[in-house]
Amino acid sequence: MAGYTENELAQDLENQEYKFGFVTEIESDTVPIGLNEDIIRLISSKKEEPEWLLEYRLKAFALWKEMTEPEWAHVHYQKPDFQAIAYYSAPKQTKKYESWDDVDPEMKETMKKLGISMEEQQRLTGVAVDFVMDSVSVATSFKEKLGELGVIFCSFSDAVQNHPELVRKHMGSVVPMTDNFYAALNAAVFTDGSFCYIPKGVRCPMELSTYFRINAGGTGQFERTLVVADEGSYVSYLEGCTAPQRDENQLHAAVVELIAMDHAEIKYSTVQNWYPGDKEGKGGVFNFVTKRGMCHNHAKISWTQVETGSAVTWKYPSCILKGDYSIGEFYSVAVTNHYQQADTGTKMIHLGKNTKSTIISKGISAGKSQNSYRGLVQINKSAHNARNFSQCDSLLMTDECGAHTFPYIECKNPTAKIEHEATTSKIGEDQLFYCMQRGISEEKAISLIVNGYCKEVLNQLPMEFAVEAQKLLAISLEGSVG
Amino acid sequence: MENSNKLSQFASRFSSTEITGLLPMVDVARAFLEGNDFPTTRVERFKYTRLTKLANAQFESSDVSLPSDYHKHQICSGAYAIYNVNGKVFLPETALPEGLSIDFISSEKALPTSTVKDVFAGMNVLYAQSGVCVHVAKNMVLDRVIEIVHVCTGSFAGFSRNLLSVGENAQVKVLLTFVSEQTKECFSHVHTSIQVGRHANVNVEKVQIESSEMFSFSDEEIWQDADSVFQINTLTLDGNLVRNDLHIQVQGEHAETHLNGMYMLNGQQHVANYTTVDHQVPNCESHELYKGIMDDKSLAVFNGKVFVQQDAQKTNAFQSNANVLISEDASVNSKPELEIYADDVKCSHGSTTGQLDDEALFYLRARGISQKGATQLLLTAFMSDVLGKISIPEVKNKVVEVINNRFDWELTL
Repeated sequence: MAGYTENELAQDLENQEYKFGFVTEIESDTVPIGLNEDIIRLISSKKEEPEWLLEYRLKAFALWKEMTEPEWAHVHYQKPDFQAIAYYSAPKQTKKYESWDDVDPEMKETMKKLGISMEEQQRLTGVAVDFVMDSVSVATSFKEKLGELGVIFCSFSDAVQNHPELVRKHMGSVVPMTDNFYAALNAAVFTDGSFCYIPKGVRCPMELSTYFRINAGGTGQFERTLVVADEGSYVSYLEGCTAPQRDENQLHAAVVELIAMDHAEIKYSTVQNWYPGDKEGKGGVFNFVTKRGMCHNHAKISWTQVETGSAVTWKYPSCILKGDYSIGEFYSVAVTNHYQQADTGTKMIHLGKNTKSTIISKGISAGKSQNSYRGLVQINKSAHNARNFSQCDSLLMTDECGAHTFPYIECKNPTAKIEHEATTSKIGEDQLFYCMQRGISEEKAISLIVNGYCKEVLNQLPMEFAVEAQKLLAISLEGSVG
Repeated sequence: MENSNKLSQFASRFSSTEITGLLPMVDVARAFLEGNDFPTTRVERFKYTRLTKLANAQFESSDVSLPSDYHKHQICSGAYAIYNVNGKVFLPETALPEGLSIDFISSEKALPTSTVKDVFAGMNVLYAQSGVCVHVAKNMVLDRVIEIVHVCTGSFAGFSRNLLSVGENAQVKVLLTFVSEQTKECFSHVHTSIQVGRHANVNVEKVQIESSEMFSFSDEEIWQDADSVFQINTLTLDGNLVRNDLHIQVQGEHAETHLNGMYMLNGQQHVANYTTVDHQVPNCESHELYKGIMDDKSLAVFNGKVFVQQDAQKTNAFQSNANVLISEDASVNSKPELEIYADDVKCSHGSTTGQLDDEALFYLRARGISQKGATQLLLTAFMSDVLGKISIPEVKNKVVEVINNRFDWELTL
């Protein structure tokens, strides 16, 4: 490694541009900026939505107007101007694609740059991708194969048209529009998203995947995901996010609702790589997401997330363990660099008997970033023999960053067992020395240690994602060791 | 407009402070209270504490008389004892050694500026009427304990303020006793500022045996200089609503801080322990251990915060909170927090909540030990590490006595 010092590496990485920062020049159909009832009616009519959904949106909008933005999170940012955002931006298209060949070549190119070339994925990985670009799904693969099993996997708007009874029954049942400021906003203006229904007893044969991208400038992305796993079914769902590089802050306020009926299992994995802003902290995505799952008897919901992007992250994937013997899991790696700020964690609400939850959170802060874990473990009166284990570790890479832990532990039942532990430290010099004296270069040693540190979480990711996640970690981190 | 809210109604019964040392702080406190009402559970610091009962409580000053037998509340018989009975301070009658001075707080011209974190701390600045200031000269090793006994009776309500200033190299043990008897609804808020000089060693035991009508609020703010060692044990054994707010500012390098706590609740008691350890300089360490047993319908709150500032490299900070619930309706809320801005640190916290292990109970019972005996053994074992930190034997005996009365045990240590 002669000649290539750690400092040089740091410099290289610091200068490294956001590698997903490109803008696809596809004609977009964008509504005027601003937010009022007319815009909502316009979005709704463009999407040919039924009356009940429009009413739902308007009700949410009325509620949202009364709400104020939450300020309790450990993040500081210039609040977005909600009137300066275009709430709808759809790639212009008149007809649905008949086949994959019909898809705009430029869009195919985008997907290639994202590393999710559809042909390849169709052939090699068996991942069915529902690709959401600026809010409208443009292509859905493997629909037929899934159709045979009765699995519904389509864009949210399609679901509204084709399966209104399912959407109407479940939408808002886990994250009601009254839940919080951003959930209300999303309920009012959401444009599209993914819908997934797994029928009774079906084990979904492939991993379902959505790729989100914010493309047009000045747009917010408000998508809504609803996953319903009926009794005894299983599904693994992947979600990836990127955004092009822009100077202004883009807003992303999504809602994800999971419903696991009796004996069902949902595994939800996210790799979030929204544009984090440049190294001066300019631009970047505001990621204000509400994710929650409802577990019925013997059901299991497992959240796995690798958060490396976004200028500001405000995200708490949660589980309501309503049914007896239900299980909630949360595995998270959150990496912040430069001026990124993350306030993320989970809520485990234990209601049923013999419910179990596990929380493994690994935070890594570098540069001048602030990384917080905020979690709630609530054992309610009815939750006999509830069990929780939480572990929140933080790794600090420089002396200008911060790592914080704010766990709330509330216990109202004496039969519960709750354990929480957290540690904060930097990479031990002894560990580095041990690796280096065995001929491993410093940067490789750091990567080795960081990967080892995150292993518990990365292990939870499906194979394809695990590889991507490791690459992301490498990009986000290695150069930042001071 | 004055009485527009419950807080100003509550405050209207108190007269402005006459402690000159407090005057520089009055503006800040007044600004803080301006327009504020009693905090609701939407306020983060009072998320788990309901103050409705306090806001509606009746305090009649006519009902406050000084009991004649207040001396009996002294725990440490050989101590220099100071009494604060319903806000009236009695200084020790014995002669003090050279280097130790004990006086009324009103005689102190300049008091350290304390942090106003909530309305109670603000009111203390505005309305504190009495208190004591203790100075320990440098190099003084005091072998007798200084005990400040706070006694409340009747339906007293008031604020007091103490200052303890310990000079370089000095060593001292202080006992803060809080008792109340024959009370109706009764309120007291005591602030204690403690300045720990270089190389000084200060040991504080805080024992709270309050009545079931008592709203007992207290806060301590500590400034630690370099190479000093400070330990405080907060032992809450009885009371109605007890809130302890401990704020330690570590301002000198190589300082060592120990905070331990034990809380034992029953009935409808509510005990909240808020602690902040603020590491401002490098090379310090802090150790925090709080343990609690909750019975009946009691509710305990632990909120511990370790703050490591950017300059405080090489900080080692450890925090631990363990809770045992021994009844169906007891609950506990624990919030151990770390806020860290320096990288070369070792910080950890842990929190556990559970019940007595059935298997352990069975093991003991299978060996012929009664249910009561087995419970006693396990709970004692649970608390033994905190009990072991108590540095004054008479305090330990008192704690054991209270525990024995509570559980009908025959525990000896």
